[in-house]
Amino acid sequence: MTAHTSSITMTRRGPGVGSRIVASFLYALGLPFLLLVIWAIAATRSTNRFFPDPLTIFKAFVDTWIGPAFVEDVLPSLYRLGLGILASIVVGVAVGTVIGLVRWLRELLEPLLEFFRAIPPPVLIPVVMLLVGITDTMKVVVIVSGAVWPILLNTIEGVRATDSVMTETANSFQLTWWERLRFLVLPAASPRIMAGVRQGLSVALILMVISEMFASSSGLGYRIAYFQRNYLIAEMWSGVLLLGLVGVFLAVAFGLVERRVLRWYHGLREVSRA
Amino acid sequence: MPDRSTLLRVEHLRKVYESTNGPVEAIGDINFTMHAGELVCIVGPSGCGKTTLLKCLAGLLRPTSGLVEMDGSPVTGPSPAMAVVFQEYGRSLYPWLTVRGNVELPLRHKKLSRADREKLVTDALEAVGLGHAARSHPWQLSGGMQQRVAIARAIAYQPEIMIMDEPFAAVDAQTRADLEDLVRELHATRNMSILFVTHDIDESVYLGERVLVLSKSPTWVQEDLAIDLPSERDQITTRALPRFTELRTHVYDQIQRAKRGDAVAAQPAH
Repeated sequence: MTAHTSSITMTRRGPGVGSRIVASFLYALGLPFLLLVIWAIAATRSTNRFFPDPLTIFKAFVDTWIGPAFVEDVLPSLYRLGLGILASIVVGVAVGTVIGLVRWLRELLEPLLEFFRAIPPPVLIPVVMLLVGITDTMKVVVIVSGAVWPILLNTIEGVRATDSVMTETANSFQLTWWERLRFLVLPAASPRIMAGVRQGLSVALILMVISEMFASSSGLGYRIAYFQRNYLIAEMWSGVLLLGLVGVFLAVAFGLVERRVLRWYHGLREVSRA
Repeated sequence: MPDRSTLLRVEHLRKVYESTNGPVEAIGDINFTMHAGELVCIVGPSGCGKTTLLKCLAGLLRPTSGLVEMDGSPVTGPSPAMAVVFQEYGRSLYPWLTVRGNVELPLRHKKLSRADREKLVTDALEAVGLGHAARSHPWQLSGGMQQRVAIARAIAYQPEIMIMDEPFAAVDAQTRADLEDLVRELHATRNMSILFVTHDIDESVYLGERVLVLSKSPTWVQEDLAIDLPSERDQITTRALPRFTELRTHVYDQIQRAKRGDAVAAQPAH
């Protein structure tokens, strides 16, 4: 997950929007391009076959991933990843809201949750394999078992920290529990929830790959491991490149959603900074 | 004013907080009644439990003992007959909702047709002079305008009494004068019953038909003063009246005595 920072800029509008977009585009792509050039030069001088030059990798990328492999490996991976992320968000936000609202539950569970969070999820893969078998469900469960924690803990914290005056306002106007949830608790916690989702996304991507490397007959992780074992080095690197692209895509998609969901939050912060 | 019916009755209200250093008596014994259509100001020295009193009245806090009665029935929790305007407008309005959304929110569970609801919201926003800002978010407005939104929310809720907790303490002096006139206007044109808590003596005399002066904590009502200024008030002429000066001097003296705590004689027997 390297592209976090690039999606945050460009929020203010003003004169010269076009030229500024071009400039920031050049800034964003300048360094990657430079690194590619250095890499290409280094690769042509090196005799190490584990570091092919970028053109070879690019060619391998086109040959490997554009075609049936996209349907056989990339789509299943993305499907598991999407399902895992979705389940993590639903479970994390729902359970986190309940725990955040009920004080005794929070005090009871918090040490336990910190413990579970500290367990590295990959060690659960054999256990989950035994429990649910070598299926898509197993991979989704593994993804959720890691990605749910930042979302859950951030939701608890966000819900718990709901402003007392806002709550008192809801009390005095006798808002129903559904109205409180929809118009007070969840929006108030949304900045924290989104921060949790952002962390969860990178964890989910890692776990998607690892779970597929363990026991699978399809998927990006499986395919990369396969290339590795068969000394298809350029193909392996092209898989790594594809993973990076998936990460960038996730970050950009998240940035778009976040900007929409937290428009009020960014606006508020901009005003209070001024 | 004999033909006005009793709206709010407070009898022997007492509130004791439990703290780690033992019980703290915030409110000693408060008694007063308020009639429908009245504008009553409550003023007292700082730390005298004004906010505690207000929360007890609004049903947000349970009194230790005593009675709060609204229209003859006891207040045990928040009631649709009351709307509160808090001092911290920035934390009372929801920043993720628009101005219209904020005003509309408490009406969602009232059994109103969509058209009626829209009409109430539009009407309330126009009453506070914010008809044009309905689609803005609260944080895009100035402090004074935000407090107007909170007032509009209270108006649209159609309460029998509007309870205001030092609503203008956080805005600048000019905005404050405008907002005071808005409260007078709402009281005059809509015949709203308003209970206005403040620490500002001039504000209490300028706004109120009656001023209740509170003692220091544990609190009781030290004086119930009728403000015999003409009901048409404006910032310049009213504040220049000799009677205004007399009244504010009187209230000021009372507050000073309350601070020193030498008005014990006025305390009713428990």
